[in-house]
Amino acid sequence: MNTPSTLHSMFPLPTMPTPTPMSTPAIAVQNLTLRLDHATILQDICLQVPAGAVVGLVGRNGAGKSSLLRCLAGLADPSSGSSQLLGCPSLYLTDAVRERLGVVAQTPDLFEWMEVMEMIKTLGRAYPRWSETRALALAVQLNLPVGRRISELSGGDQQKLSVVLALAHNPDLLLLDEPVSSLDPMTRRDFMRALFTSPLRSDGMDGIGGVDACNSAPRTVLISSHLLSDLERVVTHVAFMRDGRLQLFDTWDAMLENLRLVPLASIAGITGRTPGVVCTNAAAASAVVDTRLLPQYADAGRALSLDALFLELNA
Amino acid sequence: MHMNFDIAPTSATPIYRQIVEQVHRLIASGQLLPGADLPSVRAVALAHAINPMTVSKAYSLLEAEGLLVRLRGVGMVVAEADGAASAPNTPLALLTPSLAAAARVARQLGVGDADALALFQTCLQSEGAAASEPSKGQARGPKEA
Repeated sequence: MNTPSTLHSMFPLPTMPTPTPMSTPAIAVQNLTLRLDHATILQDICLQVPAGAVVGLVGRNGAGKSSLLRCLAGLADPSSGSSQLLGCPSLYLTDAVRERLGVVAQTPDLFEWMEVMEMIKTLGRAYPRWSETRALALAVQLNLPVGRRISELSGGDQQKLSVVLALAHNPDLLLLDEPVSSLDPMTRRDFMRALFTSPLRSDGMDGIGGVDACNSAPRTVLISSHLLSDLERVVTHVAFMRDGRLQLFDTWDAMLENLRLVPLASIAGITGRTPGVVCTNAAAASAVVDTRLLPQYADAGRALSLDALFLELNA
Repeated sequence: MHMNFDIAPTSATPIYRQIVEQVHRLIASGQLLPGADLPSVRAVALAHAINPMTVSKAYSLLEAEGLLVRLRGVGMVVAEADGAASAPNTPLALLTPSLAAAARVARQLGVGDADALALFQTCLQSEGAAASEPSKGQARGPKEA
């Protein structure tokens, strides 16, 4: 049975796709599972994030958001499955891809003994695409005291510094794990604005910004947060996680326009397993239906805000 | 031209659709006249801390509907009136869906026609006399001021 010829026909060569750069998703995840000490942290995650998307990663504490971000960044080794960033395997990120990547971890990795300005300069030496002008402009925009020693910064200011450091090299892909949890509402707005501030070409004043002048690909962002009202402003997509699984992933506009909260009684005869029933909530006697699959509910019930959908999906 | 959109990010109406509907209303009520320019994508995105792509999406839809035209060096401006003939942008046409929905609810609740019409009259009165000046689309400040 296992003659080479049979093997060859079982695994035809073209099964490995060779995507063209244009169609390469910014983030791709295939059947990713992560187990730690017999506990399943992530289970069979599949995800394709198109370039330019701003994805809100939401779920309750312990749903697996940080673990997924760590796997994507190559900081955790999945038990099975794989993921790629900008077409490059997460576990073998090349320097070229690292230079296009910005990461803000949940607990900031900062050189506490340095002053803010010192750290900006030090890290800048490691990144060819680094723009000190951009880093300082961001620091000012976020009201960060650049002359202070990092160990003396408040938690919020340390978070701001991590954001500045992650954005200063104008990354094409940003992975952000709760980047704004300690920031006040005003600063969170400034942070959201900073996400979309493309480096002005005048940034080239410092002689570095011009390097990627031809690179006009929109930035892709994956951001985990519990501050749903912040996410609602900026996301193109939302990824809902629950118990280590990816529960729902779609564009946010499509969710707003197609998901309806209806009384459980009105879907009598339709079980939770039916395609189109997103979730059911026995306690509130309600269900969320996708009217693309169940068009008879197009005018039934009501639409859901991100907050309301979160509650239903985690009921 | 100093205009701003009223955007409620937590609304169940997508942000791009809120912008589209507001431009519809502002044009229908004559607050935006043909040739008037709209704020740039960047300006709207920064003002509301929203994703610029969302604003682009709204403007592109309005362009496809023929309500806006993209002028090089200027940005988006309101199209000449007959260019948007196919779009249902008269005030009454825009009001119809809301009233049709209200009518449906009235039927479901078994409210009589006379009572429903009287109630609508009351609602109109509680909004104040807005018919004379065309600034009802703004609905910004509370009335008590």
